[in-house]
Amino acid sequence: MASTIPIPSKPNQDSVVEQKIRRLRELYADAPELGKVALEQGLPDLKKRELAAATGAKNAGRIGARQGKVSELTGIFPFAKGGAKRLHGLLQLLEGNFQGADAVGTVHDMRFVFLDNDTKLLFATAYDGEWDAYIDDFATKIPNAMDLLFCNAEGWPGIRSPKVKDWIVEHQVAAEAWYVANDLTVAETRRLKRMGQAVEEFLDQIG
Amino acid sequence: MATTTTQTKMQKGSTQPADAQQKIEAFRALFADAPELGKKALENVIAELKSQVSEPRAKVESAGRVGARLGQRSELTMIVPLAPGGAKRLRAFLKMLDGNLSGGADKVGTLHDMRFVFIDNDTRMLFATSFDGDWDVYIDDFVTKIPDFLDVIDSAWEGWPGIRSPQAKDYLVKHQITAEGWYVANPDLTVAEITRLKRIGKAVDEFLDKVGD
Repeated sequence: MASTIPIPSKPNQDSVVEQKIRRLRELYADAPELGKVALEQGLPDLKKRELAAATGAKNAGRIGARQGKVSELTGIFPFAKGGAKRLHGLLQLLEGNFQGADAVGTVHDMRFVFLDNDTKLLFATAYDGEWDAYIDDFATKIPNAMDLLFCNAEGWPGIRSPKVKDWIVEHQVAAEAWYVANDLTVAETRRLKRMGQAVEEFLDQIG
Repeated sequence: MATTTTQTKMQKGSTQPADAQQKIEAFRALFADAPELGKKALENVIAELKSQVSEPRAKVESAGRVGARLGQRSELTMIVPLAPGGAKRLRAFLKMLDGNLSGGADKVGTLHDMRFVFIDNDTRMLFATSFDGDWDVYIDDFVTKIPDFLDVIDSAWEGWPGIRSPQAKDYLVKHQITAEGWYVANPDLTVAEITRLKRIGKAVDEFLDKVGD
């Protein structure tokens, strides 16, 4: 008897979506009433999107989520003794604006938030590309600033230490969902800004 | 947990050199008990810090009711307790969308980035976004543009009153924590402005292609 090679059947998109929706409905069965109502009202749009959702959030490399060119890093670090006070002082000195990060060149945004009665630091950034390359950028471009900031966290091995990446990974929590409005790197955005200025000057001249 | 909403109040104008020196000295004193590598790093950057403190630059202000703002760009950072079963439902929802929320979030129009992070063994959720302008307007954008998606997500939060409830904003404020440090690479660009620049960039490229032919 001739062996038949099983041809993987292309799953019916519609039924896959229906199945997912059914599972979600089941899960939301014990949700608060307003959650259930919201789910029903959002379903038509959800179905449409689910079909188009070919580009999901991806991985930033070692840890973290990535969408297109932009990745996220979210870490919660316990403060060392006196660390919260020192970091407060540093951020106050800089008036909350840590402009030194311009030198890194791949940071979109970055926040420092004090949690749980100043016992922990939440550090969250959006950056371009791969996790490893990003950490390397910090280490090569603003190593002193990194030590100045993170020596206030418990157990910081120092940006030049071979253990620094493991230490960061240990405190990082990958986002379950990650959204970015514009798929542009920091460099591309700056280029567009320059181009926009040039076009305006050009139009002024011929006007 | 601390839900301090300390506003980062910033005075206008540049700092005088003598004043900057004083600030640096006070700061150095604060670092006297820092770990050795921290003290060393401080000495390495002290000149740079001093010039940064002396030079006029963009100030972090308040985003309105709560949150920090630099130029056009504001931050919202919240930590909310999850309701029983909430983590399970929310994970399933986010997984179904492959962690990609573009379909709904694009509609808001003032949202740059947004993350959902489960912390403390799924008992709390960290929600952090970066957006254009004022806090109240931003929340209103969510309410008018994607109320149902918001409720599908936020019904996982303990005590969430519903986005259409008059108590919704107070709930958000109660759980939001203002960032003490906030950096943005391009603080002058709104989502709309970036979209416009993208169109210009494309038009210029096409134009140059034609000229080159």
